[in-house]
Amino acid sequence: MPSIRQARASAVVGTLSCLVLLGTACSGGGNTASSATKGVKINVALHIPSPPKASLDAFTKATGITVNWTNIDWDSLQTKIAAGSTAKTYFADATDVDWSRVGQLGKLNWFYPMETYVDTKSLGADMPQLASFTIGGHVVGIPFDASFLVTTVNKKMFTKAGVTKMPTTIDQYTQDLKQIKAKGGVQYPLNIPFAAAEGLSTYWYQTTAAFGGTILDGQGKPQFATPDSPGYKAAQWMVDALKQGLVPPGNINVSDSQGQQTLMAQGQVASVFGDYSGNVGSLYDVPSSSKVVDQVDYLATPGVSGPGPNVSNPDGIGIPRTAKYPAAAAKFIQWFTSAANQADFAGINGPDKALKSYNFPSRLTAVDQLAAKGKLIKGSALSAMLKSSARPVFPAGAPSWYPQFSNAVYTNLHSAATGSLSVDAAIKAIAGTANRLASGG
Amino acid sequence: MAVRTRRRIRVRWFGVAFILLWSLVPIYWTINTSLQTEAQAGGKPSHYLPPTPTLKNYTSLLGGSGAVPDQIRRSTINILVECGAATIVTVLLSTLAAYAFARMTFRGRNVLFYTVLGTMAFPAYTTLIPLYRILGDFGLVNTYTGIVLVYVSGFLPLATWIMYNYLTSLPSAIEEAGQVDGANRIQILWHVLLPLALPGIVSTAIITFLFSWTQFLFPLVLSTDLSTQPLTVVVQALQGQHVVPSTLLSAAGVIAIAVPAVIGLTLNRYIVSGLLSGSVK
Repeated sequence: MPSIRQARASAVVGTLSCLVLLGTACSGGGNTASSATKGVKINVALHIPSPPKASLDAFTKATGITVNWTNIDWDSLQTKIAAGSTAKTYFADATDVDWSRVGQLGKLNWFYPMETYVDTKSLGADMPQLASFTIGGHVVGIPFDASFLVTTVNKKMFTKAGVTKMPTTIDQYTQDLKQIKAKGGVQYPLNIPFAAAEGLSTYWYQTTAAFGGTILDGQGKPQFATPDSPGYKAAQWMVDALKQGLVPPGNINVSDSQGQQTLMAQGQVASVFGDYSGNVGSLYDVPSSSKVVDQVDYLATPGVSGPGPNVSNPDGIGIPRTAKYPAAAAKFIQWFTSAANQADFAGINGPDKALKSYNFPSRLTAVDQLAAKGKLIKGSALSAMLKSSARPVFPAGAPSWYPQFSNAVYTNLHSAATGSLSVDAAIKAIAGTANRLASGG
Repeated sequence: MAVRTRRRIRVRWFGVAFILLWSLVPIYWTINTSLQTEAQAGGKPSHYLPPTPTLKNYTSLLGGSGAVPDQIRRSTINILVECGAATIVTVLLSTLAAYAFARMTFRGRNVLFYTVLGTMAFPAYTTLIPLYRILGDFGLVNTYTGIVLVYVSGFLPLATWIMYNYLTSLPSAIEEAGQVDGANRIQILWHVLLPLALPGIVSTAIITFLFSWTQFLFPLVLSTDLSTQPLTVVVQALQGQHVVPSTLLSAAGVIAIAVPAVIGLTLNRYIVSGLLSGSVK
């Protein structure tokens, strides 16, 4: 049997351990940011692969900052950002800022305002999508990948069906799709990803923009609730396309990237209305993944009475408040988003300097350089869209409650597509959610 | 009657076949893909059997050079270290704790025991942020120690419960015989009880190891780079890149499930007996 002295000693040790743990739990998190920019090692956590080692070595040589690149998939990265920021615990010095999270991040103050470290005002002219990362006058992240939604068409199928002039309006586009179906070119000519996932939401945003409208106003109030509104018409058009047999019935469970890879790239459909910018070069013209090489082209968004806009869903990079070396991280971000590096990452100087899975530079000068050198497939068309028609999904910035809103969008539109809800009921449900969230409910 | 029995058997077999297919087809498809070339895997129609089975994906992952093989190898070492250490520490602590609860009399024993068991009712994820913060303050984020400590804290209550049930099922007369022979508690535990409780210890170790192996969210948050990221986190990260060939990803997936599959298939009797221990007295 243990002696009384041993028992007391155990009790003292136990009590002290509890006090230490309690003290720790109540402490301030223990993070102290350093302004050092020389001889430091920063962690960069992103969902894309690392730039080539030689590029990172060159950065280290020039700045004295060593970069430790951690690759984490997008969803997991959002979890890490939320966990690190909530626990006020360091996990990276620079990380992803997705356009759809800008409202949340701005409200929660989880990221340093980039204008503290970078001259963001001068960047705006060369980075049209910087607006998507600005909330409450602060820039939360710098876009490094100018993703925006575009319409892609299989020219061969359109031509075969007798379409000699590419459509510029949505009515003409719909008529051409019907003609392709009627002429037997392809049974289901249009890809709409009706799976209950984010891709369905963004497809609707793009279609709404094509119909000449926006989703929410500056106060977060829905702009799509009435039957004559563009958002309502867009939802009706999407569901009608499915009912009229323009969209494969199986698309009820097809996500955006699945549809692009298994339908459009395999020649099963003739068009994607809300496709990814850069997909022609990175997917449709790649023989190992496509049966429609040299057949697909970008089309200026068919709008109400002429070409419409392209909504942006770019990726950005920012500095979390828990960063150890924010100033060094800012130097890295400036380097990473510089025009020269963006052109390199997109392959202007060959595959050795390119960044795998990098879609499209966010800087116009980089896009122009690539297009001029013929290094960007359909570069001039993409460059023109980025300059003139790309615009944020939410002009006033994504609301802080965007994830709940998007969830309501894709679940209700999915239900409308399956027939368990009417379009009217789906739109009312989405609008109700937006109103509730906007009023703080 | 005989017809009804035959029908019942048929329904039962149909149910078993359905569950087996439901569970095994995705695993089979992963193995099938991992044994094909990228061109074969992407071809239409799909191959239900690898046309020319190849181990190239495995050899390139386990022996090749490049970023992806490096990540797979390093994360495999990480997961083995983390799960192995968590298992050893958990078994050690749970055995001692279970012995104290099963055989020693002290004030508050029952309250303490049921409090330990009660922690199993808490959803583990509710502790993620506090644990993350505590580990951050102690400088244990992105360390083997931190991850192992979290695993141990998570699996200790279940392990203690399993060991407690084993130890209480052993007749106390054996222990009393040891006392009569002049052995102290540690000697009795080491020389008498532990050999008898070996099946329980093996069960506890296997269950702890398997539970640790399948962790994703905790190591995702608690590790910041490849120095501690386990295989489960790295395979998911590779999947998210969209540039790693599906055949290579499938091979990585097979590697990730190989160890638990072998353990589960060869030692399943210990897992069952461990989880059922104490359910029948």
